Amino acid sequence: MKLEERVAGDVTIITITGEITLSAGGDMQLKDKIQSLLQQGRKNVLLDLGGVSYVDSAGLGQLVQATVTASKNGGKVKLLNLTKRLNDLLVVTKLSTVFDVVEKESDF
Amino acid sequence: MVRLDRDLFLIGRRGTADLPLNSADVSREHAEIVRDGDCYRLRDRGSRYGTFVNGDQVTEHTLAAGDTIRLGRVGSVELVFSLDAEPSALRSSASEAGDLRQMAAILSGLRALGSGRVLDEVLTLVMDSAIEVTKAERGFVMLADQEGVLEFKIARARGGVTLSGKSFTTSEKIPREVFSTGVSRMVADLLEGDFAGDHGGTIAIGIRHVQCVPLRVSEPGAGSEMGTTKVIGVLYLDGRERSTMTSGSAAASLEAFATQAALAIESARLYAESAEKARSDRDLRIAADIQRALLPEPRHERSTCDLAAVSLPSRTVGGDFFDYLDLNESDFGFALGDVSGKGPPAALLAAVVQSNFAAQAPVSSDPADTMARINKALLRRAIDARFSTMCYGVVSPDGNFSYCNAGQEPPLVIQRDGVRWLETGGPVVGLISTATYEYETVLLAPGDIVVIVSDGVTEARSVENDEFGRDRLLDAVRHCHGLKSEAVLDLLLSAVNRFAAGAPQADDITILVLRYKGPGPGQPAS
Repeated sequence: MKLEERVAGDVTIITITGEITLSAGGDMQLKDKIQSLLQQGRKNVLLDLGGVSYVDSAGLGQLVQATVTASKNGGKVKLLNLTKRLNDLLVVTKLSTVFDVVEKESDF
Repeated sequence: MVRLDRDLFLIGRRGTADLPLNSADVSREHAEIVRDGDCYRLRDRGSRYGTFVNGDQVTEHTLAAGDTIRLGRVGSVELVFSLDAEPSALRSSASEAGDLRQMAAILSGLRALGSGRVLDEVLTLVMDSAIEVTKAERGFVMLADQEGVLEFKIARARGGVTLSGKSFTTSEKIPREVFSTGVSRMVADLLEGDFAGDHGGTIAIGIRHVQCVPLRVSEPGAGSEMGTTKVIGVLYLDGRERSTMTSGSAAASLEAFATQAALAIESARLYAESAEKARSDRDLRIAADIQRALLPEPRHERSTCDLAAVSLPSRTVGGDFFDYLDLNESDFGFALGDVSGKGPPAALLAAVVQSNFAAQAPVSSDPADTMARINKALLRRAIDARFSTMCYGVVSPDGNFSYCNAGQEPPLVIQRDGVRWLETGGPVVGLISTATYEYETVLLAPGDIVVIVSDGVTEARSVENDEFGRDRLLDAVRHCHGLKSEAVLDLLLSAVNRFAAGAPQADDITILVLRYKGPGPGQPAS
C-alpha cells in the first residue's frame, strides 16, 4: 500500500494505492497517518480510493475507525472514487451510512 | 614440569597467567619469561615480594639450565629452569594446523550427530577449541540476526572463562569488516599500520594480535552449480603475543576450522528454531481444541427444527463461530459470526463475541435489540478497529422467524415457491457506537430452510481465481426445500470443495443450516 498526500485549501487529500489489508500492514499505516494529520490540526481529510485493489476486513475497520476518530475530534474524513468492489463491501456490511462519499474533490 | 611453549610466558596469581600460582607471596602478574632466539630471559613485572634466581633478587636475568627461580620470600614458590634435549619449547605452526584439522573433524562429527545440541553448547565448544589451538588469549563469536546485524553470541577467555560482551574493549571494526567482505583478517601487530587509532582501547590492555575469520555456510540450492555461500557471523581471536597462526598454511587451517564451526552453529541454530516452532505449533493445536470446545454440537435436533453447522478455519484457529440456544420454553435462537482478521487474534475476539452473544441473547426475543446490546458490549472493550459481522435469528414453534443481519453475507431462505436473501439488520458490531439495528420477520412453512454462511464461502477461490459468489451458493441449495439440514450442509460444502479444489483456503469457512419442521406436537401452526 502506498499513501500520497497533498493539500488543497483546508483539505488534505490522501491518494491510496494497492491493498489496505492486515497482512500488508496497510491498516495500521492508514491509522497512523490519520492520527498524525489530526494531531497537526489538519481535520479535513479526503481519502482517494480509486487505486485501491483490495480492502480486507481489517482495512475496512480502519477506514471506519478513521472516520469515527476524525468526527470525535471535530474533523471529517470523506471518501472519493470508491471501486465497485469496495462499494459492494460497504453495502453488505451496511457501513455505507457511516461514510461520506463524494463524487469529486471539490465536493468536500 | 611446565613447558615454556610460547614467546612470552607469564607467571602470576592471575587465573589466566600461563603459569597460574596461588600463593600469597606471588603478585597477580609476577614475572615473565621471554624467549629470544635460543635465549630465555626472566623479567620481574614489578612484583611486591620480588623475583630471585639462585637466591639473588633480579629484575632481569638470562636463564641457564638448572637455575632456581623463587617468587617472593624464602619458603614461597620455587621453580627450576631446565632445557630439553629438544629445545623447541614452542610447537610448530604445522602441528597447530594439524590440531585445527582435528578440531574441524570433531565439529564435523558434531554436526552429523545432529543437532540435539543447543546453540550455546556448540558456541562454547567452538570458542574454547579455537582458543586452545591458536593459543589466543580470548575470543568471541558474533552472529548476524535476521536483519543482518552482528550480535555478540559468546565471548570466552583461555581456561574456559565466559566473558561478557561488554568486557571486550576491542574495536568492532575488524569483525564488521570481515563480516561484510567475507575475507579473513590476520593482524600481526595493531601498533603497525593504521590500526592504532581505531584500536586504542584494545592496545591499551595489551592486545596486539588479532585473527578474525568469517563463519560461512553454503546456501541451499539457488540452482547454480557453484553454490553460493552466506556469511552468518565471525570468529574473532586476539592476544598479547604474536601468534604462530599468521602463517599462510595455518591461516588456511583456521578458515577450514571456521567452516566446520559455521556449519555446526547453523545447524544448532536451525534446530533451536524448529524446536521453538514445534512449541508454538503445539500451543496452536491446543488453542484449536479449545476453540472447537467453545462451539456447540454441530448437529441439533428439536421437535420444531433441526440444525447442522460446520466451521473450518483456514489456519489452525479461526475467527468464525456459530452458536445456538433455547431462549425460553418455545423459541430457539441461532447465530453465525465472523470476526475481522485471521489466526489467534481473531480466534480470541471470536470467543469474546460469542460469549457476549450467549450473555445477551436470553435477555430478549427481539433480535435487533439483542444485536444492539452486543454492539454496545463489544464497544466497551473495543480492541482497536476490530469488529464482527453477525447474523442472528430466532424461530418460534409457529414458524415465525425473526432475524437481524449485522453486516454478514445475507442469509438465504429456501421456501417451496422460491428463494430469498435476508438483508434487514444494521452495520457490523463492535465498531460504531451510534449504530441502530432492525429486524424482519419471515413466516416459515414446514420444510423451509435457512442457510447462513461466512464470507469464506462466497469468497472461496478456484484455481482459476474465480470467486464462488452468491450465484453458485444459490445454485447449490436452490432445490433443497424439505431436506434435512445435515443433507443441505453436505451439498453446499461439497459444492464449495469441488469449486475450490486445489486452491488454498484463504478464509475461514462456516456454514449453519436450519430446517423448520413444523409446530411440533400439541402446537397449532399459525
